[in-house]
Amino acid sequence: MKNITSFVLLILVSTMVLGGITNTAHAQNDPSILLKIAKHAQKQLESQINQDSSDKTKQLFKEGTQQVNALEASLKNNDTDLAKKHFLSAMRIFKEISQQLTNNQSPQTEIATLKVAVEDPSADLLRMQEYVDNLKVIAKKYSASIDFSELDDLFVTAKQQIMDNQFDDALQTISKIKQITINLNNEIRGHASQQEQSRAKEYAQKYLEQLDRLIENAKNQRLSEDIIQKLETARENLSSATDPHEIIKQIREIISIKEQFELTKNDRLESRVMQVEKILLKLSNSDKLSQTDLEEAKKTLQTIKRHLAQGEFETANELLRSLVTLLEQFRD
Amino acid sequence: MNPEIVPTHRGESIREDGMLFVRTNGILETMVKAPLILAGLIIVAVVMPLQTSFSSTRTLELIIYSDGSTHVSSQIDVDPLEPDFELDLFGKSIDNFVAVGDAGFLLSEEIIEDKAIIDTFGSSSIIIDYDIHDLISKEGRVWTFSFDSPSDYTLLMPKNSVIVGMSALPNNMDLVDEQTKLDLTTGLSEINYIFSATINPINKPEIPNESPFNYVNVAVIGGPIIAAVIGAVLMLKRKQQKSSPSIIQTEPISEKQIEIKPSDTETIFNFRPEMREDDKEIVKFISDKGGQVLESELRKKFLQPRTTMWRAVKRLERLGIIEIDKKDLQNLVKLKKDLEEEK
Repeated sequence: MKNITSFVLLILVSTMVLGGITNTAHAQNDPSILLKIAKHAQKQLESQINQDSSDKTKQLFKEGTQQVNALEASLKNNDTDLAKKHFLSAMRIFKEISQQLTNNQSPQTEIATLKVAVEDPSADLLRMQEYVDNLKVIAKKYSASIDFSELDDLFVTAKQQIMDNQFDDALQTISKIKQITINLNNEIRGHASQQEQSRAKEYAQKYLEQLDRLIENAKNQRLSEDIIQKLETARENLSSATDPHEIIKQIREIISIKEQFELTKNDRLESRVMQVEKILLKLSNSDKLSQTDLEEAKKTLQTIKRHLAQGEFETANELLRSLVTLLEQFRD
Repeated sequence: MNPEIVPTHRGESIREDGMLFVRTNGILETMVKAPLILAGLIIVAVVMPLQTSFSSTRTLELIIYSDGSTHVSSQIDVDPLEPDFELDLFGKSIDNFVAVGDAGFLLSEEIIEDKAIIDTFGSSSIIIDYDIHDLISKEGRVWTFSFDSPSDYTLLMPKNSVIVGMSALPNNMDLVDEQTKLDLTTGLSEINYIFSATINPINKPEIPNESPFNYVNVAVIGGPIIAAVIGAVLMLKRKQQKSSPSIIQTEPISEKQIEIKPSDTETIFNFRPEMREDDKEIVKFISDKGGQVLESELRKKFLQPRTTMWRAVKRLERLGIIEIDKKDLQNLVKLKKDLEEEK
């Protein structure tokens, strides 16, 4: 018996240790990319170092080149650890060289570079484009008839203005884009808030089901009347709440009661049950699961909930695990 | 609980070094209780995957713009039992914040300094997007990206940027639309870069001529070539077998193939009647484009996030309708000429 226990213990410990290792085992897929990055930096800096560069800079570059050569040699010898060290050393030296080259640069060149960077609003335009694309996807979800055509035209105009180096005009166009985007964003949020209320109510309903199970369990375990009374009052308050913020407030209240009386131990399982319900809902819309399997899965979920209500957490957990494993096969 | 320490038998001699040894047999059973440890470990092992499955970052993508701002895009698993979720932002100067829930619906949020409180209302997964101005500083012409990441992430560098300093080791590097994309790991990374209009972001390293004959390199380069040649020969043979009417078909029916033209979407839909409506739209679009498109084109056309479109493409690949190739380090999605049963 002792041998069996030790064997099981050994397996459990090794599984947990190995489980931890797998998280870090994927690091550094292809060490040759280190050489690509280092060589690219080396070439870039080589093209910038000239007769006027200081001896210190030239010396540093020599050291950096040595590190790159050593990195290449380490990779050939399949010594990845050493290659990593040489890579980091080379990049540290190249960074120093870049800073020195910047310091030695003529102020006129520096100002000119900065001026272009500040004036060219390409990045600002790209950011807005990304944001508006996001809003379009959301508007489509709400089937909201929002007209983006004016914005699309303005994006085309701004791009053209940037290409023609008319940065001031482009800035004005982007400013218009921003203003219209704010209005459209408000319009979409208006649509969203209407649906948020029904989503909040649906969520509160789910939470009430969970709370019912908790109350039933508390009664079965013969917890004090005071705790049960508090939970039942909280239940009443939540079921009468309709405003999303009020719902959040009431649920926070319930969470605080649960924490106060240490009733949170099965919350993880409850969360998982809610996740599985969502997966089931998605699968029922996707036709991936046959009707029979779907019905079977729904029945299992009900059984899990019943076990939870009766405080049979281990049985509920086991069933949940089998169900999750089954459903994972059908998920994208 | 009394530890049972059994002294050495009086008859046993004490060693020359004078050390007194005691028997510890039975301590584990009586004091620590092995069954208890076993039960504890089983509970830990059983509960551990559940604990780690909530509030964890599933994907994190960062895009650096040329003006030093960064776009953050992340998919996060959240606890569906919680009404809201407190998200740690990567700084305080935030623009264009958007949080989307399970079904793609916009979630309300409140941003207070570097935290966002998002009303999730039972969502189990959320996607967030925002722009941030706190991750990059500039000294002279050297830009420095500094980021302490809570998870592994991808970083897309701006066009024409050259990395000249790096404190972290990347897992991978790719080229996406002429921009360098790095895969980086959890923890602090500092990347210094400058802008250059002259050098291509990635040049393949030159392999010196004087390098000694390396069998590993030969195997790495030669292996795939030989495999490709063998594959091509086999494919040619199979095609010849199909085109020859005199040869009796010996393959099982489940592996039969239907040959289609790229534009023949009806054949595809008849072959796969279970295909989703949104997937059919993707197939139609690819067909209209002559049977092949870049995955980025699909994202633009259907306005879908990267992960959603990738899943759709993988779904179609699993159905045996499309195949994915690489073109200039981008995913090229092609309609298959031969439809085959799902593997």
